[in-house]
Order: sequence, then C-alpha cells, then structure tokens
Amino acid sequence: MFRVTLKGLLGHLPRLVSTFLAVLLGVAFLAGTLVLTDTIKRTFDDLFASVSKGTDAYVRSAAKLSGERGAQDSRARLDESVLQAVSRVDGVRADAPQVQGYAQLVDKKGKAMGTPGRGAPTFGGNWISVAGLNPFRLAEGSAPTSANDVVIDRRSARLGHFAVGDSITILLPNVAPQPYRVSGIATFGAADSPLGASYALFDLQTAERTMAQPGRIDGISLVAQPGVSQAELAARVQKVVPAGVEVKTGAEITKENQDQFSKNITGLTIFFNAFAVIALVVGGFVIYNTFSILIAQRLREMALLRAIGASRRQVLLSMVGEALAVGLVSSVAGVLLGIAVGAGLKALLAGFGLDIPATGLVVRPATVIIGLLVGTVVTLVAALAPSIRGARVPPIAAMRDTAIDRTGASRLRLVVGVLLTGLGVAAVLSGVLGSAAGSVTALGAVAVLVGVVALGPVVAAPVSRLIGSPIPKLKGITGVLARENAMRNPRRTAGTASALLIGVGVVSLLAAMASSFKASISDQISRSFTGDVTVDSGAFGFGGFSPSLAHQLNRLPEVAAATPIRFGAFEQGGSTRNVLVIDPQTLPKVLDLQVTAGKLSDLGSRQVAVYDVKAKSSGWKLGDTVIARFAETGDQTFTIAAMFHRNDIAPTFVMGTTAYDANVPNSLDQQIFVKFKSGVSFAAGRAAVEQAVKPYPNATVKDQQELKQTFTSQINQVLSLMFVMLLLALLIALMGIANTLRLSVYERTHEIGLLRAVGMTRSQLRSSIRWESAIIALFGTVGGVGLGVFFGWALVHGLGRDQHIVFAPPTGLLVTIFVLGALAGVAAAIRPAAKAAKLDVLTAIATE
Amino acid sequence: MTQTPQSLPSDAPVARVVDAVKVYGAKVTAVRALDGVTVDFEGGRFTAIMGPSGSGKSTLLHCLAALDTLTSGQVFIAGRDLGTMTEKELTILRRDRLGFVFQAFNLVPTLTAIENITLPLALAGRRADKEWLDTVVSTVHLGDRLEHRPSELSGGQQQRVAVARALVTRPEIILADEPTGNLDSKSSAEILDFMGKAVRELGQTIVMVTHDPVAAAHADRVVFLTDGQVVDELASPTAEGILDRIKSLGG
Repeated sequence: MFRVTLKGLLGHLPRLVSTFLAVLLGVAFLAGTLVLTDTIKRTFDDLFASVSKGTDAYVRSAAKLSGERGAQDSRARLDESVLQAVSRVDGVRADAPQVQGYAQLVDKKGKAMGTPGRGAPTFGGNWISVAGLNPFRLAEGSAPTSANDVVIDRRSARLGHFAVGDSITILLPNVAPQPYRVSGIATFGAADSPLGASYALFDLQTAERTMAQPGRIDGISLVAQPGVSQAELAARVQKVVPAGVEVKTGAEITKENQDQFSKNITGLTIFFNAFAVIALVVGGFVIYNTFSILIAQRLREMALLRAIGASRRQVLLSMVGEALAVGLVSSVAGVLLGIAVGAGLKALLAGFGLDIPATGLVVRPATVIIGLLVGTVVTLVAALAPSIRGARVPPIAAMRDTAIDRTGASRLRLVVGVLLTGLGVAAVLSGVLGSAAGSVTALGAVAVLVGVVALGPVVAAPVSRLIGSPIPKLKGITGVLARENAMRNPRRTAGTASALLIGVGVVSLLAAMASSFKASISDQISRSFTGDVTVDSGAFGFGGFSPSLAHQLNRLPEVAAATPIRFGAFEQGGSTRNVLVIDPQTLPKVLDLQVTAGKLSDLGSRQVAVYDVKAKSSGWKLGDTVIARFAETGDQTFTIAAMFHRNDIAPTFVMGTTAYDANVPNSLDQQIFVKFKSGVSFAAGRAAVEQAVKPYPNATVKDQQELKQTFTSQINQVLSLMFVMLLLALLIALMGIANTLRLSVYERTHEIGLLRAVGMTRSQLRSSIRWESAIIALFGTVGGVGLGVFFGWALVHGLGRDQHIVFAPPTGLLVTIFVLGALAGVAAAIRPAAKAAKLDVLTAIATE
Repeated sequence: MTQTPQSLPSDAPVARVVDAVKVYGAKVTAVRALDGVTVDFEGGRFTAIMGPSGSGKSTLLHCLAALDTLTSGQVFIAGRDLGTMTEKELTILRRDRLGFVFQAFNLVPTLTAIENITLPLALAGRRADKEWLDTVVSTVHLGDRLEHRPSELSGGQQQRVAVARALVTRPEIILADEPTGNLDSKSSAEILDFMGKAVRELGQTIVMVTHDPVAAAHADRVVFLTDGQVVDELASPTAEGILDRIKSLGG
C-alpha cells in the first residue's frame, strides 16, 4: 500500500500544490513569529546582560509605584548624601550616581521628536564616566564636559540629522527649552537606541538641575573590589544606607530588566501568534476542501483498489499517509521559510518604530518542533474526514458510472447546525444583554462559528442563487452557468467559502471594533471639548510642557480661560489609580465636571475630588479621608472636598496641581484647554494661541476635529498593522478558491469542451468562471462580515458597559470589504479561467 | 443580424473539402488520418460518412466542424475558407452557422433541456425566433420535460435535445458524430427519423459519421472512407446496399 500512496501522491502532485502552500504559509508565519520573539528576547537579554555586566550592585529607593500593564515601576529618588556613605564602604572600587528624567529632543525644523504618550519614551540622564557602568558607548565625539554639552543616542542623531558639534534644542522639565551642543553620539550596547527610545545625556549636575532636583539622584551603580562577590558587596552596602533604600546585585538587576522586558513582549508574541493561528485555521479549511475534492475525483480509483482486495483500512491509511507526507514536507518547508518570515517581521516592526538591533536570528529547537508538529497535525486533522468518506466507498462503485455528486444538505447537518447557531446566538446575547458569565458568552461565540460553518453546505445553494441572481441579467447564459456551477456542489462551495469567511470575519470584527472605538472617542471629545482649542503635548503621564505656558495663555487678551491638565497616578487601596490633575481655579471656566457635592475650588494641597458613583460604592462622604501613596513621598492623607458625576474625561480621582506637585517632582502639564473670550473670532483666537505656543516645540494647537483625528489616526495605524497581518490568511483563502476552481475545471473538462464546441468563446468561458468565483467569494464574504459584525457588536457591548463605548458599524469599510471580496474572487479565478480557456476543444470533448 | 435560412434544398455545396491532408504525430510515427480528401456536401441533404476505425471519418468531421485544423488543403463552409479564420471567428462560426451532435454527454448538466436547446442563441446574446423555436421544440417531443435537467432525461431524450440544439440556429450544416452510438435500437430509430425530418421537412443539411449501416441508410448519400481517402459513394442507400459495398471494399 505504501507504493500506492506514493504513486497516488506523485500522480496528482500539481493538485496538492494549494495544500502544500496553505500549510507552508501558515507554518512559516507561526515559525516566523516564534523566531522573531525569540530573537528579540535573546537580543535584549544579551543587551541587558552586557550593559549591566560591569555593575556589581545597584542602590535605589525601595519606594515605588507599580507601573500598569507592563510599564516600568516609578521609583522615588535618593538624596545624593547616600553616595558619600556608599563610596566609603570597604569593597567598593568605583561608584556612579545615576539620574533619569524626561528630555525631548527638537529636530532642526523646530519640531519635537517622538511622541512619548504613544511611541517610545524620550529620556534624559547623566553621562557616566566610570568604565563598565555606562550602558552607552560613544560612537563619535566625546563625553559632556560642560553644562552646555549633551550626548545623544545614535538613532535620534540619524533621524534628526545631527552630527557632533551641532546645536540641538532640548525640552526639559525644569528649564525653558534651550540649545545644547552635541558633544558626542552614543550607542546602547550594540543598538542605536534601547527599543527606539531617545536619550539626551548631560553631566551629572546639569542632569540633576534640568530633570530632577539638585542633590537628588535615581540610583548608584557600584563596582566591587577584586575578591568581593556581588552578594557580599550588596550586603555590606545595605548596612550603611538609610531605611527605604535597597541594594540589589548586578545579577538581580539584569534579571529584573530581562523579566520586565519579557513581560513587555508577551503581548507582542500573543498578537503575532493570534494571526498565525488564524492563518492556520484558514489553511485547515483549504486543506479539508482540497482533500475532499481530490478524494471525490478519485473515488473510482479507491473503489478499484477495494475491488481488487484492498481493505477499507488500507485505503484509509493510504490516504492518511498521503496527507501525512504532504503535511510533513510542507511543514519542513514552512519552518525554513519561517526563518525568513522572522527577518521580514523584524523589518515590519522597525517600520512601525520598534527598532531591534541587528543580530543573528534565534531558531530554537522548540520552534522547529512546534512548526513541524502544528503543520502536520493541522494537515492530518483537516484531511481525516474526507479520507474516511473516501474509504467508505463500496467496491461496486468501480463498475458504476461516475456522477458522484453528494448534496450537502443532510438533515443531521441542518439540525445540528441550526441548533448550534441558535444556542450560540442565545448564549452570546444573554452574555451581552443579560448577565451570563463571560465563559458562557465565549462558548456561545464558538458554537455560533461552528454552527455557521456546519450550515454552510445547507445554505450554499440557496445563498449562491440569491447572490448570483442579478448576474444572468447582466451576463446572460454566461451568468446562468456561473450561478449554476457555484450551486452544483454545495459542500464544495461552502468549504471553499468557509476559509474566506474566517479571514473576512476577523477583518470585519476588527473593523467593527475600531469604528466603535473611533466613534466613541469622537463622541467623548465632542461632549468633553467645551473650549475652543486644545494645546496638546503628545505626552501622557510622562513629559509635557512647563506650567508657564498655561499662565502665558491666560494672559492673552483673546483668551477667556486656559486650563491645564495632567494625567497622573498614585496607589490607593493596594492598586495603582489614575488621577486627573487640574487647576481648580480655571477648570470650571472651560470644563463642566458636573460637581454634585462640595466645590472644586476647595481642592488645595491636601484635598481630592472623587467620582460620585465610586464614592457611593465605597461609602465615602464629603470630608472623609483617603490615603494615597506616592513613590517620592509615601503615604499621604487627603480629604474628599468635592464629588463629580462626569467620568468620561476624569478617572475616579481628581486632584489640584498644588497637591500633585507636592508629591510628584518634575511633573508637567500635558494638555491645556483654551476658551476664547466672547466676540473673539475662532481664527483670531487660534492665531493668538499659535503664536504663544511657538517657544514650546512639543505643543500643538488642535481644534475639536484635529483632536479627534489624533485619536482616530492612532486607531487606524493599529488597524492597518492588523490588516497587514491578516493579508496572509486572506491570501491562503484565495488560494483555496483558486484551487477549488482549478479542480472543478478539471472535473468539467468534457462540459467545457462541449460549450466551446457549440460556440462559447474563450472570453465567455473565462467570464463565466470569474463570476462563479465571485459568487463563492461573496458567499464567504457575506458570512464573514455577518459573523464579524455580530461578534464585534457583542464584544463592544460587553466591553463598553463601563468604558463609554457604543457600537458603530463601519458601513463604508464593510462596503469596501464586499467589493474587495468579489474582486478577490475574480482575481482568484484568473489562472483557472485561463487554463480552462486554453483547453483543446476536441481533447476536452473526448474526456469523460 | 439574422442568419441566412437554408430553407430550400439547393445543389450548391454548403461545405466543401479540397485536397484535405491531416497528419498526426512526428516524422517517424506520423499517421496520415486524411490523405487527400476532396468532397462536397450539398445543402438540404443528409450525408453519411462511413469507414472502418482509423479511416479518418471522425477527423474529416472534426475538420468540417472547425474543431480541428488541416495539415494542408482547404475546408470551406458557406464559401469561407476555415484555414484563414481566427480562433474567435471559428468559435462564432460554430455558434452561428454550425450545429453539433456528439455520441454522448451532449448536454450541459447544469442547464435545463430548453436552456440546452437555446444555448447557442444565448451564447450569441440573441433571442430565439419564436416560430422556429416552437417548430424545433415540438419535433423534440419532450412535452413537460423541457424544464428538466439532462440527468432526468433518458439517453434518447438527451440526444433529441442535442439535435434540437443543433437545429435552433438554423445552421448551414449540422455535423453528427455517431449520434446513435450510445442508444438502443428504438431510440436510434427515433433520432434518425428526427434527423431525416429535419432535412426533408425543415430543409436542414446534415453530415453524419456512423459505422452502423442501418443508421447510414437514413441518409440520402453515403461517402466511404478508407485510409484517409474517399473510396466510394452511394446515393439513396439501403442497409443491404451499404453492407454489400462495405464487403466489396474489403472492410
């Protein structure tokens, strides 16, 4: 039987090309993402290890505010006096104080580089002269020697076209923007910059003065004397530092950095792998369909084998063996291609601003094993059902005339499909509208998906008829043939369309969610944007512009009020809470927070305002106290001075600038809402504000529409990255359509010959196959859009309850998806149609 | 554009084959399927082409049908030299001016009987001439099965639909390749009567390849082919006369 399998395989190799490609591409994508994430991880593990290689111990404050969602913890600073105590410890050979803060470079056109609120952070620090303790290495120029000197990272130098000796303006928290001289350009280990972050490195005093506070440092790196271990050094130093200061060994710091980074890229790994899984599921459908058709076409051959004495088991094994061989070969090729895909994805990420230093790709044995296993198993599973169907053929079928056309609409299928879909929809609805558990909803979603796929063959014929109904009017008999051919084998049509359905479903789901987010954000901005213009820093929580800007704006004759806000955080009740920092005097003139109790103007250095719903659920009343913990100042008690009802702009807590500044050093304004005086035209008001913000390179003046665009363009960027990822799944689905057509054309050779003989022109034949393909593609597209929008609606409702998100169908995009679906179908038909048109009429007619 | 109806029998040849040579294969293994065939087919007549297997009768029919090309020589249909026409012109010629009946599987399985009959018109984007269509359809004797798919028709019914399709455009010439080869004798007789009627009552021209003397006896004229050459002819044949002639030709 092995030889039969092999011969069978070799005999119709061309028809297995699509199976091969489907597995190959899916596995390549999966292996590629694994290679990429392993490479990133290894690169940065090495990088962190190498940059802290010389550090034997690190002294820092133990007080910290845990970062949210993988963000770095923020820590309190140390007094520089710790340095004297530490450097006197026996066993310390060298020490280097470290300062880090916000610093944003300004390019030669006067524009601030980077957007710290959305992209990589923009850092500043001090240049460390102790060899082995500085993670940066000078690539050109020299270290800063005066208060006017700065060393910048090589990535920023490249992007901003800065060379050693150039003048560069830098935005810093404590001083007005001013020019510095680029004394040197540095790399971070082998990388141009750590993960695309920008760096400005000054001498210690300048760094303290401009970014921190004089006499305050973030930490101290230490080198041990020979013979003193890291642990020993840390233990000795720990004895001399004051309470609240901790000492970590170099190894611990490396581990901490690596773990932190690993946590950060977990999301990325999941993100990529999700798309690889989608591609593999779509590929599974293509494989299932190809094997179904191949086996249907070879039923006579199977029957013959059975007739001459092969057992059912042998026939089954021969087919499964074929699937195994195809799966294995294409998985091997997929893993190999995956290495190239890994390199490609790395380039793609670089295009989106995530720079990864050039190092060799990491291919772990696990990657190879996972790739081979997943590819082979997917192929086997997808080919199993058709193989079992094939093995069931009775020997007598060898003698019978062909006409093996199974209809898809078995009663069992109908009942199971309707039941699953119905129950699934009910479960999803009860989760979204009622109060069913999340797991019920998720299970319901799976049931809907399985139900719809199961119903495919039942509805394929009627739906194809419906979709195809306008075509005969347009194309006459060519259209009739296209429609009838799309309907003639419902199971095949459904199987082919299902692959596309999954891909289009995910696209529609994402599109529906994105449009809902965009609509909701626009809506929120419309409701909260009570001023005339907003001055935006592009920063969120980190960085921003000096409070002096708001003062200046308030002095403009055109401006009625300008109120600055900051996005901050503190720890309360054991978890990190967001806080909106406001100016209590100016805010009410521009924004209405709907105060329900107390007065915002009472917010002084020891008061907070609370969202009234949260206050009610926590049992807080006016005058009650709340303990908030800050990294720098520790636990602080605040009195509840006001309650507000509006929580679309403000989180649970609102605090005055005075109170926040007392606890968080170097905090900056991140946005300023500006309201013009009555009688001042919008143009005049805006011009005045534009003029006033000129000295602040990171300040952009935005009207309501522009502010909305800032957010929607961010969502669009994420959406387009996802669409790029989904292209592969769609490509595999289209290959599936092309393959089905190819096999169908092969099956209909005689019929095509006949049509050509009685006068169908080549272009008519091609057109007919194109329309058939368009019908199949539209069938999948309609199903995908339907499912995607339904799931999108369910998700938005599920998520949106306390997030102010309302469902908004992406009508325009959906129309585009329909049109593209049909066009893609047409594109998939090009090759099979050309092949059909080239058939020799006489040979075709002679084919049975 | 309306096609030229061939309503009256005429002696002018509708199809003409001049010195036709068809060679298959390369030099060493070359087979001369047609070896200098010259023959005329007059309008309004029913001609049978007979000959043993490999005599070239099917090749001749395929070349007449614009489905195959000659190695040398010429085929004229309604005065046009097929050798000078493009693939597309030939396709349209087949659609508008020729009719076909093959041995089996003549019909498109996804189309109903009536859709199969009007297929060439539909491909041309033309409406059927109502009167002519009624005439053709009534002679098919399908009754209420016109809306049925081929799989629901008997072999004889299917071949009648095929003949009706060949007639529907009122072609210059209908070419039939063993049209009764797959049928029982009763259905065969029906089809042959039907074809005979098409010639004698509707004025059509038919050329039919067959190896069955009974079938050939329905024709007005029999052309005998052997080894790619026309070796004999018989007018107003009977089955016995044909058999005698075959024996004398050593077939």
